[in-house]
Amino acid sequence: MSRTFIFAREQLRAPFTLALLVAIPALFVISAAGVLSDFATALGGSLAGDAAVALSAGWAAAFISGALGFFQAASSRGADRRLVLAGLGPARVAGSRIAASIFLAVVAAAAAFMALLVRVDVAHPLHAAVAVLAFALLYLAIGVLLGSVISAPLEGSLLVIFVFLLDAFSGPGMSGSPPLWSVSQKAADVLIAAGSGTGSPAGDWIKLGVVTLGALVAAFCVFVASARSRA
Amino acid sequence: MSSTLISTLPVLSADGITKAFSSGPPWHRRRVEVLRGASLQVSPGELVGLVGENGSGKSTLMQVIVGLLARDGGTLNRPERLGYCPQQPLLWDKLTVAEHFELFAKAYDLDERSAMASRDGLVGELGFGKYLGYRVEELSGGTRQKLNLSLALLHDPQLLLLDEPYAGFDWETYLRFWEMAEQRRAKGMGILVVSHLLAERERLTRIYELRAGRCEAL
Repeated sequence: MSRTFIFAREQLRAPFTLALLVAIPALFVISAAGVLSDFATALGGSLAGDAAVALSAGWAAAFISGALGFFQAASSRGADRRLVLAGLGPARVAGSRIAASIFLAVVAAAAAFMALLVRVDVAHPLHAAVAVLAFALLYLAIGVLLGSVISAPLEGSLLVIFVFLLDAFSGPGMSGSPPLWSVSQKAADVLIAAGSGTGSPAGDWIKLGVVTLGALVAAFCVFVASARSRA
Repeated sequence: MSSTLISTLPVLSADGITKAFSSGPPWHRRRVEVLRGASLQVSPGELVGLVGENGSGKSTLMQVIVGLLARDGGTLNRPERLGYCPQQPLLWDKLTVAEHFELFAKAYDLDERSAMASRDGLVGELGFGKYLGYRVEELSGGTRQKLNLSLALLHDPQLLLLDEPYAGFDWETYLRFWEMAEQRRAKGMGILVVSHLLAERERLTRIYELRAGRCEAL
């Protein structure tokens, strides 16, 4: 049995976590899209209609994946480090831990995407699916990164929420012009375009791929640095 | 292996280890020097004790030796792969006992046959074979500690580091633990046992006391 499978199985044995993984994104998409439009209007943004519903799916997948990534990395930190020191090495443990988390992020993204399909008729469903997954992976990376350096559950989860709120309320459609550091900017651009039926240019897809992959690589590197032997 | 054939070169040599921790905000930084030149040696076939009061730095020294903490100074020579039994069992709550053995067998690079043989021997010695299919969250504190110890012994290491290894053991298991330690010492394993209270002094080759950040041989 592979390490990744064992780590994924660890999470699958928490039925309440699994239920939340599916229920939170679905409920968020079904109930929060209207509120998201109101927030956008209050913040000077233009988000409305199907684009708002589409973006809510991305945010739902992002939030649950960020929290999951943080708790996966933080709660198993001691045992993971013991495994590293036993000879597996930080890179292999980091790879397995992140791969197992990706599996769960895909589940959360799928739940959010299915709720989106139930709620509205998405013009570019494949674009929307990829963008929702990108949201989930970006925030999974942020969660793992924070969980690798902060073990305290309260401080860590507050930081995940802080990054999420800052990113959400300054992102595309929510404010006049999104700041450069908005990590999910391209994912939001693609998702809004998919929801409103316009589609996205190739440049947006390339940037989305680079940012998502970069976030996962950064999370991997921070995990490896924090778990390596100090002897 | 006869004890006369066991190498006398130290399997663990720590010399002048220093370690300090800083805490508090930058304008009110407090620095606590925990280790101030701690030195100790463990040779193959030795069962060495490290005692000290609560907060004397025993676990800090152990974590420096294992590689969980970086040392500020001093030199350390130890084998690449060792057996480490931490004070608090570092285990995954949702994984079974068998899955823990499987993960650590891979980490120690054991082939399936020798991993199974070693696992079955250890669970037999410590008497927790019936819990192989149980998740850690379902185990008692004592059984968790048996698993914690077994994972450190799975690959039959040259050097075994035990940090308060018998916390939670009943009397029979406590005695069994010392028998296991002596059997492995006789085969050439170097063992360092950290405890705030060592009642079994006659079983030990040597005892160090950690006092004011330094190790003194008793």
